[in-house]
Amino acid sequence: MDTKERVVRAIFSAIDEVNVQLPREQRLEKSIQSGLLDGSGKLDSLGMVNLIVAAEQNIEQEFGTPISLVDEEALSQNDSPFRDVNTLVRHITRILEENEYE
Amino acid sequence: MSEPVSKCLLISDFNVSTLAGILLNDGEAPAIETIVAPFGQVIPTLMQKDRECWQRQPDFAVAWTRPESVIESFNLALNYENVSPADILLEVDHYSSLLLNLRERVRFSLVPTWVLPSYHRGFGLLDMKPDIGIANTLMRMNLRLAENLAGSGAYVLDAQKWLGTAGKYACNPKLWYAAKAAFGHDVFVEAAKDIKSALSGINGNAKKLIVLDLDDTLWGGTVGEVGWENLNLGGHNANGEAYVDFQRALKSLTHRGVLLAIVSKNNPNTACEAIKKHPEMALRLDDFAGWKINWNDKAQNIFELATELNIGLQSVVFIDDHPVERARVKEALPEVFVPDWPEDPLLYRSALCRLRCFDAPSLSAEDRERTKMYVTERYREELKARLSSLEDWLKSLQIKVQVEELNQANLQRAVQLFNKTNQLNLTTRRMTVQELEEWATEQNHRLWTFTVSDKFGGSGLTGIVSLEVEDGVGRIADFLLSCRVMGRKVEEAMVYIAIKHAKEAGVDRVYAQYIPTSKNAPCLDFWERSQLTQEREHCFVWQIRDSYPRPEAIQIEQTFP
Repeated sequence: MDTKERVVRAIFSAIDEVNVQLPREQRLEKSIQSGLLDGSGKLDSLGMVNLIVAAEQNIEQEFGTPISLVDEEALSQNDSPFRDVNTLVRHITRILEENEYE
Repeated sequence: MSEPVSKCLLISDFNVSTLAGILLNDGEAPAIETIVAPFGQVIPTLMQKDRECWQRQPDFAVAWTRPESVIESFNLALNYENVSPADILLEVDHYSSLLLNLRERVRFSLVPTWVLPSYHRGFGLLDMKPDIGIANTLMRMNLRLAENLAGSGAYVLDAQKWLGTAGKYACNPKLWYAAKAAFGHDVFVEAAKDIKSALSGINGNAKKLIVLDLDDTLWGGTVGEVGWENLNLGGHNANGEAYVDFQRALKSLTHRGVLLAIVSKNNPNTACEAIKKHPEMALRLDDFAGWKINWNDKAQNIFELATELNIGLQSVVFIDDHPVERARVKEALPEVFVPDWPEDPLLYRSALCRLRCFDAPSLSAEDRERTKMYVTERYREELKARLSSLEDWLKSLQIKVQVEELNQANLQRAVQLFNKTNQLNLTTRRMTVQELEEWATEQNHRLWTFTVSDKFGGSGLTGIVSLEVEDGVGRIADFLLSCRVMGRKVEEAMVYIAIKHAKEAGVDRVYAQYIPTSKNAPCLDFWERSQLTQEREHCFVWQIRDSYPRPEAIQIEQTFP
């Protein structure tokens, strides 16, 4: 399984955690195109915090290295890394690669 | 008929929206509607009953706080200041008194114990030292809280277990700083499970019977093939030891009032011989309330066994190592709880100990003796099979019924019966200790308890009937009888007592209005067979001018004027 697949799996697991708190009609789809902070309004601010923290924990368990998904750089990007699952995967993969080279 | 949705008020000094979301949306029974009290307003919410959250009439409350937030002197201790433990406990007493006020507003409340994140090392080496250690103080605070709330309708839940299960991510500072959530997702999931299990138990839905397979469940190997002498059970072998430990854990559950039974595809003589003769068996035949050992469909056997034991299928748990048998029972008997079961016998005991479905709000002497009572019931049935008529059998049992009014000695058991009895229950009123005491002390209310025994032994306090008198008419408000003594004319003795006292109270007629639930059809069956007249649907009436016949086979002893 390559890095991207492992990251996707960690995010889907985080989506599972968040979904158990949400009404059925509001649950996030486990797909790479699934919107997060895309204006669909499925996740409120607490839901987003829970998703980010769960994703960080799952990535730490999967790769054995702690990461922080929310930093100034992430917040300053025009194209938010939290827009959908795909952008989040790219964001996490980039952080992991950076950590590897440090 | 589905259970009504219970309304839960969450009172907390941290963000419990995640817990509220899980309780509302996890799809697990019982269904809960959540109301979240204003964030960080614990003390005003406890003190002011006119707050908006109380207007929504919650059925129960969960008051979950951080110790440093509600106990100011503990906050000082947490900062290593010199604080007297007595002062801290005084504050705990004060906070407990606020929690006790909840009795007037909700049926019951749940109070998770105070915990600290595991990264808080307190005084390290000195942290368990009396008068200094923070961990020591926190334990004493929790014990004091539990003592203060005992018997009040407020139940203290062990939150430390939730943190233990959640492990490393139980408390994540990021969640606190970003959302004021004191705990991580897994802690809230565990809390939700315990809250639902508490609600289920308090509503009388704790499981009562475990039906067990034999081969590769209670012992390793197939007894019909290898013989009892060669079963993997006990000895110096990891699996063998694990099977014995699993049996011991099952046996210990019988001390909590849980019954055991066997449903196994086996030759009955071979299987019973193993249970009797294998020296390492922790469970013997007298530990089982009943068994069906044959080659029939297990679902059919479970159905028949539950019927024989007078236990509703919704009270049954089925444990079998074989996934196909589990799937068959799940599909055929959806009311039966069939937990997923580990393949590895080394995990059987822990899988059993994790089950929350046996959690009940109280434990009586009757509970502890329940298995014995069912075993003696088996002897009664054997006698019944030898005697020709029902009347002969009842007379031979020499049944005695002791009738008492509600008192401090029988109050707890009476409340337990109110909340656990499903089948022979006229109105299925669920009552807390306080509610029952208040109801029974009303001038126009009477309530009697029935303790049943016969020549084989005592069945304990197993029946309750209550009467409400208004405008010259008596209404049987409650009529409930444990399934373990059903069909022995105790029902008739209860009606006889209610009508006798109604007559003394000067009423013209007595009626019983049956309220149907998904589980109390046997009660309707009794009233339809009774000597009362059904005037309209589910309303049974007795005119007082006629004396209600006293059941001949029963000796009734009344211990009050």
